[in-house]
Amino acid sequence: MDADALEREGLAAAAAASSANAIEVVRVEYLGRKSALKQALREVRDRETGMALNAARERLEGAIDARESELARAELDARLTTESVDVTLPVGGFSRGKLHLITQIRREVEDVFLGLGYSVVDGREVETIHYNFDALNFPAGHPARSPLATLFVDETTVLRTETSPSQVRTMEVQEPPVYIVSLGRTYRRDTPDATHSPIFHQVEGLAVDEGITLADLTGTLDFLLRKLFGEKRRTEFRTHYFPFTEPSIEAYVSCHVCDGDGCPVCRHSGWIEVGGAGMVDPAVFAAVGYDPERYSGFAFGWGLERIAMLRHEFPDLRELWRNDLRFSRQF
Amino acid sequence: MRAPLSWLREYVRVDATAHEIARRLNVSTLEVDRVIDIGVADVGDNLSYLRVGKVVEAAKHPNADKLQLCQLDVGEGELRQIVCGAWNFGVGATVAVGLPGVLLPGFPAPLDERPLRGELSRGMILAEDEIGLGSDHDGIMLLPGGIEPGSPLSDVLPVCEQVLDCTTTMNRVDLLSMVGLAREVATLCNGQLLPIDVEDPAIVRPGQVDVSIDDPEGCPRYIARVLEGVSVGPSPMWLRARLHAAGMRSISNVVDITNYVMHVYGSPLHAFDRTKLDGGGILVRRAADGEELTTLDGTVRKLDERDLLITDGTKAVALGAIMGGLDSEISDTTTEILLEAANFEPIGILQTSERLGLRTEGSNRWEKGVDPHMAEPAAVLASRLLVDLAGAELTGAADVHSGLPERAVVRLRPERTNRIVGLDVDSEEQRSILERLGFEVNGDWDVTVPTWRARDVTREIDLVEEVARVVLDRVPHTMPLRRLVAGHLTREQRHRRLVEDVLVGSGFSEAYTWSLVAADPDRNALRLADPMSGDQAILRTTLLDGLIAAARENVDAGNDGIALFELARVYLPSGEALPEERWRVGGIVAGGFSEARSAVEAIYDALHLELRPARTTVPHLHPGKAAATTAGWLGGLHPALLDGSWAVFELDLLELTAPIPERVLYDDVITFPPLRQDIAVVVAEEVEAAALVDTILEAGAPELRAANVFDVYHGDQVGAGRKSVAIHLSFQVPDRTLSDADAAVVRDRVIALLAERFDAELRG
Ligand SMILES: [Zn+2]
Repeated sequence: MDADALEREGLAAAAAASSANAIEVVRVEYLGRKSALKQALREVRDRETGMALNAARERLEGAIDARESELARAELDARLTTESVDVTLPVGGFSRGKLHLITQIRREVEDVFLGLGYSVVDGREVETIHYNFDALNFPAGHPARSPLATLFVDETTVLRTETSPSQVRTMEVQEPPVYIVSLGRTYRRDTPDATHSPIFHQVEGLAVDEGITLADLTGTLDFLLRKLFGEKRRTEFRTHYFPFTEPSIEAYVSCHVCDGDGCPVCRHSGWIEVGGAGMVDPAVFAAVGYDPERYSGFAFGWGLERIAMLRHEFPDLRELWRNDLRFSRQF
Repeated sequence: MRAPLSWLREYVRVDATAHEIARRLNVSTLEVDRVIDIGVADVGDNLSYLRVGKVVEAAKHPNADKLQLCQLDVGEGELRQIVCGAWNFGVGATVAVGLPGVLLPGFPAPLDERPLRGELSRGMILAEDEIGLGSDHDGIMLLPGGIEPGSPLSDVLPVCEQVLDCTTTMNRVDLLSMVGLAREVATLCNGQLLPIDVEDPAIVRPGQVDVSIDDPEGCPRYIARVLEGVSVGPSPMWLRARLHAAGMRSISNVVDITNYVMHVYGSPLHAFDRTKLDGGGILVRRAADGEELTTLDGTVRKLDERDLLITDGTKAVALGAIMGGLDSEISDTTTEILLEAANFEPIGILQTSERLGLRTEGSNRWEKGVDPHMAEPAAVLASRLLVDLAGAELTGAADVHSGLPERAVVRLRPERTNRIVGLDVDSEEQRSILERLGFEVNGDWDVTVPTWRARDVTREIDLVEEVARVVLDRVPHTMPLRRLVAGHLTREQRHRRLVEDVLVGSGFSEAYTWSLVAADPDRNALRLADPMSGDQAILRTTLLDGLIAAARENVDAGNDGIALFELARVYLPSGEALPEERWRVGGIVAGGFSEARSAVEAIYDALHLELRPARTTVPHLHPGKAAATTAGWLGGLHPALLDGSWAVFELDLLELTAPIPERVLYDDVITFPPLRQDIAVVVAEEVEAAALVDTILEAGAPELRAANVFDVYHGDQVGAGRKSVAIHLSFQVPDRTLSDADAAVVRDRVIALLAERFDAELRG
């Protein structure tokens, strides 16, 4: 029995096998119980021949295994090519909806302030004039107190004209430090047009603690504005007047469309007015029993519609109330 | 308020340009909406083509009846021929001339020499509208005599002007004046405030002026001055030009002077034709109920006790602080005037002007609270101008008040400023800022507030603001230093976000609909006292109407796959002044009952709640497809409310989330797997699935852990009025795996109880 010749013949047969079935036939013929190799091994008498035959069997086994997996892989590849689909073809899909754009911005703002360690407070929308005006230091004769500007339920009850009453309600029940934001619907007697709506949304922020400064306010608003309009934005703060803050400021952000060069979005000024802010007026602290010598604070109140319109460049805020899916599905 | 820069520079010496001034004012004082350029463009040598000229010859054009042929001295040595269409001048007139090459506003190209009807015209004699000084085009401008011909016109008239268009906040009425703006500019731009030096004319023939005030609260001060020998006519060019640049129309010298002085000091004035005042005096009082006055605009105003009137003692002659009366208006023939420089209380004025819908330059200032001290310099300047420009003589003066307010003194701690602002502002700088703004500061930091700031600076914090606004562009950006940080969403807020997210993931888009509705199912729902319209009169107690409208909007738009939800408040009448505001989630989706149930089930499941709907009756739901849950309702929308088939639901968040467990405890359903079997039972048609499942679970406890209906079959095999209900059963105990024999015992108990309660038969 010539082990070498048998091995050469088996290796050649394995290499020639072209299917899973064929390689199985080769395996039986060269390694099966009735194969010449197995018979020779059964009959072997001397150690040297035995070692040579075993080595030949191992090499043959390895070659047949390798060829077998090679063929299996080729067969799988061949099958997969026949299963290919047009990956560019649209599919039915799961149905999906969208959050309202204002809700998306509301959550963005909430998340910025949650990250800064603020809590979110749900104010109420129907308020007494005490919380809406008196406790916020609105002077007698302030135009906002007029029924021409504000929606009254009765003489002492109004639909809140800003989210600020939530400041007072929070401070009444909580000692400083206070770090809150409050977002929600507000109401004014405005005839609806492209930039006005009798119902709109505000974000109110309030921080009261020992040592709060105007610089803390501008730093906080700078942070928020860059989160909302992009990290490259610059901010500017200009003096203003509000009854419930002193000093009062108005926040501006460099135009995100032209980056300050001037364009229609910023009315060619390079700056976009975002909203009011200021240091909490001591009269507001007095109304809730805080000591203005010990505590200072800042507050701001901005319209969310304005942020939405500026950032997404749609011209008419009434779209936000029309609920047309062709609008909501874009955001 | 429009502030022409050349006028402003009369009161403040400053190097800064208009745009630099605007920028500083914007940050620290008020909003400058824009800088308006008016007049002739100051580019290249354009202004050098504008000269003063003297008319040496003027005759009718030989070939045109409507034109004059003129020879002018424009300082060139020889005369210059110009053809002109105006006839309001003659030989000797001093006029404004534009030479060929000048680019005039509104003209597409520079002026050139050209023949007009055969005669060469080498320039143009100018009317005020041609160089942006006014709107008059009836004739050319006549300049005062005595100006050297050939002088640059820009030395004589503000031929190019920049105007600051300002909007001030309501606390700074002092900025509705040129002197107020000048003070700010001087402070912000290192300028020097220039005093207004006016000599009060002497009273030439002292006469009696009777002024009395019945309502000293409404009118704390009334200065009246009588001027005789007035000649009413047009204002001189410089005054017309200033008013035009400031956005005011020139009317006559007398009226222009009152407007001019109002612009200078911010304290409005009024001039009466004194011959129309019975007795020539003034009585200020409240109107009688129903009293009438015809105001300058020709409208008959019906008044009541709330309105302040200026009367002559017998009849009303002006609506105090708002508008003069028509009868005593200045006319061409007026020769004697009573000049009013008064002071009025703001709130009453605001209320009258709002009620009458009548807002004027005057009321706009008075309603914000004008400094009573300003009446006097205003009266002096106006008298001076009436004497100088209208040939008047001052013959009487009265100043009635019961004491003018003292200047307040407020203590400032400069270190307090720094603690509030978060910037170290040297105390000497603070002192300097305050002093430049007109405050007086002594060595103890007792700060005396100027009278024109008496209303808005009363406390230390108001002084802090004065410093803060001036240094505002230097304030750094820092973050609060926190000792305690506790930011979080409440459980309710997290649940609201979760409900929104579940619905969005289920294919619903969020809608925002009006809180104010036309009608509401709750008869006690809150109603606005004076709604903007009937559609927005009532505070809603349900979201349904808004969602139906939103769905209809989308149907009309031709959108498909309509599925909308809203998570918002409703306002439930509480019996108290304030309603109970409750969060609700509502939805509307094209489809039937199963769409509503799927959505509600998704919400319940996400919140670890079990949905157990029960049949109910609600007017807005399909009577056969209406279910109540622990927190609201769901079902098919009643077809009368919207065409098509729609599923709707509304849940109260408070009721929905109340039963949510604090913690969810682990249940070991893995170690010993359940044994599953199916059964089918035949019962009467009206038996509800939930009743069967409840009974099965009751009978099968504790080994039976779950029973779920998976099929309902009607047909011949079960008979009329009956149905076959197929149910998955799942048996499981925590300490061992159950055998078929164990399950068979439980199953027998179940079938027995079903038979007893529902006459159920086991099928198959
Ligand atoms: Zn821009």
